[in-house]
Amino acid sequence: MLDVQKIRRDFPILHRKVHGKPLVYLDNAATTQKPRPVIDAVSKYYEEYNANVHRGIHTLAEEATAAYEDARQRVAQFIGARNPAEIIFTRGTTEAINLAAYSWGEKFLKKGDTILLTLMEHHSNLVPWQLLAQRKGLNLEFIPVTAEGYLEDPEGMIRRLQPKLVAFAHVSNVLGTVNPVQKLAKVSHEVGATVLVDGAQAVSHLPVNVADLDCDFYAFSSHKMMGPTGVGVLWGRAKILKEMPPFLSGGEMIREVFLRESSFKDVPYKFEAGTPSIAQVIGLGAAVDYLSELGIENIRRYEEGLLEYAFKKLEAIPGLTIYGPRNSGDRGGVIAFNVAGIHPHDLATVLDQDGVAIRSGNHCAMPLHAHFKINASARASFAFYNTAAEVDVLTESIEGAKKVFKV
Amino acid sequence: MMDIYREEILDHARNPRNRGKVADPTFEFHASNPLCGDTLDLQIKMQGKPPKVSEIAFQANACTVSVAAASMLTEKVKGMTEKELAELDEKDVISWFGGSLTTSRTECALLPLKALRDALKGGEEK
Repeated sequence: MLDVQKIRRDFPILHRKVHGKPLVYLDNAATTQKPRPVIDAVSKYYEEYNANVHRGIHTLAEEATAAYEDARQRVAQFIGARNPAEIIFTRGTTEAINLAAYSWGEKFLKKGDTILLTLMEHHSNLVPWQLLAQRKGLNLEFIPVTAEGYLEDPEGMIRRLQPKLVAFAHVSNVLGTVNPVQKLAKVSHEVGATVLVDGAQAVSHLPVNVADLDCDFYAFSSHKMMGPTGVGVLWGRAKILKEMPPFLSGGEMIREVFLRESSFKDVPYKFEAGTPSIAQVIGLGAAVDYLSELGIENIRRYEEGLLEYAFKKLEAIPGLTIYGPRNSGDRGGVIAFNVAGIHPHDLATVLDQDGVAIRSGNHCAMPLHAHFKINASARASFAFYNTAAEVDVLTESIEGAKKVFKV
Repeated sequence: MMDIYREEILDHARNPRNRGKVADPTFEFHASNPLCGDTLDLQIKMQGKPPKVSEIAFQANACTVSVAAASMLTEKVKGMTEKELAELDEKDVISWFGGSLTTSRTECALLPLKALRDALKGGEEK
């Protein structure tokens, strides 16, 4: 069981006030807050051993390189990757997916091939494939979404369309839907497709083990899992990564350079051109330690309970519509909703006056909003440091907004 | 409640002035706010010598701030020449909300003015 009051003391920002009210931070799907050990790890690097990695011989360079590579090992262990060389540090999930699209996609997909995505993708798992499809003359197909927010007959579509790539979110950033990665990976592999999973909304909320999930690529961001911004991860099967050409090129990733040609290092360095986000990677390592100590299973259990409570409270508000699966077991910690007669931006502004931070807009998922025939939605998204008392503040604030707008 | 939702603003949002379409517009523009996907269509008809705004109308699928700003802007610009329209200041629009707009909500408030400027620039001049 999580001691949430104790956990909250680890997050300095949770003690600040907004417009004179205690901060109620419910925008965790956008980015999570950072615990003291992560902040300290970043400061410690800058204060004690700031140096470039993989270059110097001096003590600071050795220490920085050791800490950077140590973080890679811990991230690998955290997501069940057998080989730390399968962990490529990128700038974030978006860059991780772009890396796969530019490197793997350019090499292995050819004119007429099909990429199968879903209607619930974040733009970062849609636009890179659109551009690739335009460059190479590929077909883009989409698994539809049911009214309840589940994928509609994904296995049937995979069998029917015989795609070369199936790419989808582990957890939808709007509907919260937890997609059945294992099941879809199995069918995809049966038809010979490669599977990429966008895990940005999953990693700090659900147990993630890439060996069990049996996908081929898994992309996620540090800043959505208590770590710093500016770093993300593309995990890929070593066998596939080895066959892929470099994406970005320059320093750090080369073995030998001549004026007209160069040879490249092995994975993962082949994909890490330039000085990486060293402090941030070290911070991500600290975040992984923090999450491991709490236990992802404990986190999941706690967040499911909180989600169930939030559901009950929100459902009791007349005029409030929730999008996505009702069963909290099928959901990550995300609740997107609308209140009849109040634009989500206006709702977010009124809630902010009460110290409540939610997101409003289309959450980088315009096609999904179009599917539900709405422009925008409000979204409350939870982390393990949120409490039932904060859900009460949220619902009271929504009731207050209804009075302001007389709905 | 804060200035941004004072009664005058809410009234403009609930009962927008000049909502609808203009027949045979001189200028028109379709604007959108990428932050939320809100949209606003603005149409202007210029008549007389020198030409002045004789009719103006908008249709919006947008938040309180954008709709109220469009309602107030369209009221204000009737009878203006093209030169006067071009000289409209963002600061005026922002001041209608009593200086209570955050950076993100300023985008909402300025959506109608941006639509007007793009329309004048020949967005869809007829």
